[in-house]
Amino acid sequence: MNGQIECLVCKIGGSIIEGVNPSIIQDLKVLRAQGTKIVLVHGGGDQVTEYAEKLGKKQKFVTSPEGIKSRYTDKETAEIFTMVMSGLLAKKIVRILLSNGINSISLSGLDGGLLSAERKQRLVIIDERGRKVAIEGGYTGKITNVNVGLLSSLFELSLLPVVSPIAVEAGNWNLLNIDGDRACSHIAGALKADVSLYLTDTEGLILNDQVVRRMSTDEAKGALASIGPGMDKKVIASIEAVEMGAGKSVIASGMKENPIQNALAGIGTVISN
Amino acid sequence: MVEAECLECEAKMKINDDVVVGEIISCPDCGADYEIASLNNGTVTIKVAESVKEDWGE
Repeated sequence: MNGQIECLVCKIGGSIIEGVNPSIIQDLKVLRAQGTKIVLVHGGGDQVTEYAEKLGKKQKFVTSPEGIKSRYTDKETAEIFTMVMSGLLAKKIVRILLSNGINSISLSGLDGGLLSAERKQRLVIIDERGRKVAIEGGYTGKITNVNVGLLSSLFELSLLPVVSPIAVEAGNWNLLNIDGDRACSHIAGALKADVSLYLTDTEGLILNDQVVRRMSTDEAKGALASIGPGMDKKVIASIEAVEMGAGKSVIASGMKENPIQNALAGIGTVISN
Repeated sequence: MVEAECLECEAKMKINDDVVVGEIISCPDCGADYEIASLNNGTVTIKVAESVKEDWGE
């Protein structure tokens, strides 16, 4: 494993046991033994949908004019989102890390003012007639600040922060649903991390049936129009991370043995300047 | 079908009868985007559509 990694921010899905190879634990232990500062950012949108529907709250999804499908987060959904992400998924991840000797702490973006965001006032969606309509923005946001000092303090305590994709609305203190990939990119950028890593269920960015091994941020921007939904968010986040100060971004498979080790060795799609 | 005048280029914009409040229409001449602000007995009020940056939650 590359011993030169001082700081790594890694986005995983909603679980450290499903959708990611269990050997990720070994990777984390090796990196920590080398002194690497690590932040894990988790997702879990599917689990939020599952629990919301168990609670009788049907989830509404909207599609942007660019074709991006996303959850419509009303106030009740924001509460369920927080409950599942921060109350359940993050704790499950911390439990597994702790049981493997990795001392960790879960935080939402609210805790310690870790992630502040600007709430979206309006969303433009495509309605059922195929027309563009502006609707109330709900409780989603765009990250505006990362509390780097808080993360630094946690690193000094040898704690591995596990961050849920929830931000606090600056000034109004609402909880906002934010995209986990972009939470990863903002944290990586703010920490000037060596690597912003996005573990996913593919080998990386696939174009013309081939995994793209390396791309500049400009090349990645140019390719966005031909990248499918889901992966396009990761590519945008990857570009953002580098532009905000991370050394490089890697999109790689979380399903492979030693997924972080492989990603740091460049197996996946590496996006850099 | 009702009409509204583009606030940028004064072109006439034809608006479908089944338009809804919040719907975004574009000027066919200059491409400016407008949001339907209100509908009242066939009278349509428009406002400049906010430029909304793409962003998503989980």
